[in-house]
Amino acid sequence: MDIIQILPQLLSTGITFGAIYALVGLGFVTIARASQIINFAQGEFVMLGGMITFFLLNKIHLPYPLAALFAILIVVIIGFLLHLLVIYPLRKASLPILLMATLGASLFLSSASALLFGTLPKALPPFSARAPFEIGNISVSPQSLWVLVAAFLTLFSLYLLSHRTLLGKAMEASSTDPLGADLTGISRNLMIFLAFGVSAGIGSVAGIFITPIFYVSYHSGILIGLKGFIAAVLGGWGKHNGAILGGFALGVLESLSVAFIPSGYKDAIAFIVLLLILYIRPKGILGSPFIDSRRW
Amino acid sequence: MKKMYWVIFLAFISMTWISPGHAAKTPYKIGVNLELTGPWAEITKTLKNGMVMEVEKINAKGGINGRPLELVFEDNGFDVGRAAANMTKFTRDKEILLVVGPFEDNLQATTRAIAEREKITNLIICPSNPMVRGLKQQWAFNIAQSDIIVSQKLVDLSLARKYKKVLVFHGAWPLAQSLAENFKSFGEAKGIKVIISPETHKPIDIDMTPQLTKMKPIIQKEKVDAFYACTGGPPGPIITKNLRALGIKTPVLGTHAFGFGFIIALGGEAMEGVEFPAAKPVVFDQLDANDPVKPVNIDFDKRWKERYGTPSDQIAGYGYDITGLIEDALKRVKGKVTRASFRDAFENTKGFKGTHGIYQFSPTEHDGLSKKDMVFVRIEGGRFKRIQLPGAE
Repeated sequence: MDIIQILPQLLSTGITFGAIYALVGLGFVTIARASQIINFAQGEFVMLGGMITFFLLNKIHLPYPLAALFAILIVVIIGFLLHLLVIYPLRKASLPILLMATLGASLFLSSASALLFGTLPKALPPFSARAPFEIGNISVSPQSLWVLVAAFLTLFSLYLLSHRTLLGKAMEASSTDPLGADLTGISRNLMIFLAFGVSAGIGSVAGIFITPIFYVSYHSGILIGLKGFIAAVLGGWGKHNGAILGGFALGVLESLSVAFIPSGYKDAIAFIVLLLILYIRPKGILGSPFIDSRRW
Repeated sequence: MKKMYWVIFLAFISMTWISPGHAAKTPYKIGVNLELTGPWAEITKTLKNGMVMEVEKINAKGGINGRPLELVFEDNGFDVGRAAANMTKFTRDKEILLVVGPFEDNLQATTRAIAEREKITNLIICPSNPMVRGLKQQWAFNIAQSDIIVSQKLVDLSLARKYKKVLVFHGAWPLAQSLAENFKSFGEAKGIKVIISPETHKPIDIDMTPQLTKMKPIIQKEKVDAFYACTGGPPGPIITKNLRALGIKTPVLGTHAFGFGFIIALGGEAMEGVEFPAAKPVVFDQLDANDPVKPVNIDFDKRWKERYGTPSDQIAGYGYDITGLIEDALKRVKGKVTRASFRDAFENTKGFKGTHGIYQFSPTEHDGLSKKDMVFVRIEGGRFKRIQLPGAE
């Protein structure tokens, strides 16, 4: 059957997409764990990562690795600024207000990018030789493997940060027990500040690694941000491994769905999945520390 | 206090009334309704710059019939509602003679309908699609190459390349659909087997691998000779890139919307060897020496480079063509220039030499360009290269 033939290829595409969604979802979760804020500017970090690398590479003519490194640094600084200028002044406001504030910041960042870098889409060159290689009858582009490597390294460093360092533990503490964290002398605002930086860093890494496969334009952050958010909710809102699982599940689901339904509905799949989780299992696959399961 | 405002107001009114030369130098006002912000902002800015440069040139020569041209810009922000609002605003302004724009396919139907109702000329830069063409509107004219001539030219290209079977992967918007359907009907009349894939894509799709994976067995089983990426904008290079990443080496055909530098930049090496029918400004320096529009392009490109410092492109060329067509029609208006007399003069445009080709309008033909105004282009070494195919020109 034709469908059986194409499934492996669709699966491999889905895994690449899954890695991207997982990275973006992780960015959401990092901030949510520190502050319970849903940062809708997360997709813009991804966009800015790709966009600034493109700018440094083609306008300032930096070597590729250096351009990528500087882009990550710049996006991390933007993440810090986002906290200082938007979130910190509103620290006493309720969560929905903070949510609107991040939405506003997202619009600001994408419009600023349109003004600074132009509105035409841009692509980065691939990291290594571009000829795709074949495994069986699946062809894989080297850049997809790079995305997987990036996802793995980011996950590993996040794991180290949250389980092996005092800083990571302090970040977690301020999320799980704000009062306890205050009593032990952890500055919660500082932790949220750092979480924004880490999350911006993750986002920009995702942006740099995926731009050679796709392209980046000033409005590409919105959709990817939404998909990452859905991934994080699907896996279990507020759990690192939940975001990863959710990301891969969503990516594979989206890609495989094309085999069975017309491709025009591909983007709708993510939102149907989101609705289904909200109906059936609102705390996600792995459960969420923020959603009280007894209410459901 | 209130009285004083009245006095100032009246004084101001009388000043404009009395000022000498008022009647003699009233400009011909042209409303321009463009996507100056949004995804196509850079492209429409080029168009705007082209029109501004040409209007200044005409005005420096003393205008038309002693009256200058004046462009009134409104940004529609890539939004149907705002495009309609701008159009209505222009029609309500008695001094506006005609409206140029919008640029995008999905905005044009609305402004065309308003133009028809309000009886004002509307020049559209985007090709018409069969839906709007079927309405036989009297007040809207197309400046760009229509889907019909693009498809005919592409059939010629396929015949010259001896493609027997072509698989079409089209976008899910009216213009891309009609390009695909026209290609099928013209192609099958000439004996090419055209398969239109049921898979489609949207302008925002950043990855077509799933769709193409589904089409790969068809490409292999049917031994398709060429793959037609029937689309415009970023999906073009994305499709080509994804095809090559899937290890499919079938030649790729494109539409005239591939003729932008940024398309090559997006697709990189995957774009090598892509062939498509293109507007003449894309490769104006490679046109035949006796091509009537070659000197127009060379002169325009020289002035463009002097003023803006970048090479001109096909969109800048539309700026020249629109302004030139308006000037040409205004010169031919007999008697008083009104919206109606301007429309009649514009409809009688015969043989205007623009950068894109020679424009001919008539009561039955509101698409100005013909198949002769297109050339075959191949992407080679990251540049557009004109190819000449014997027997197909």
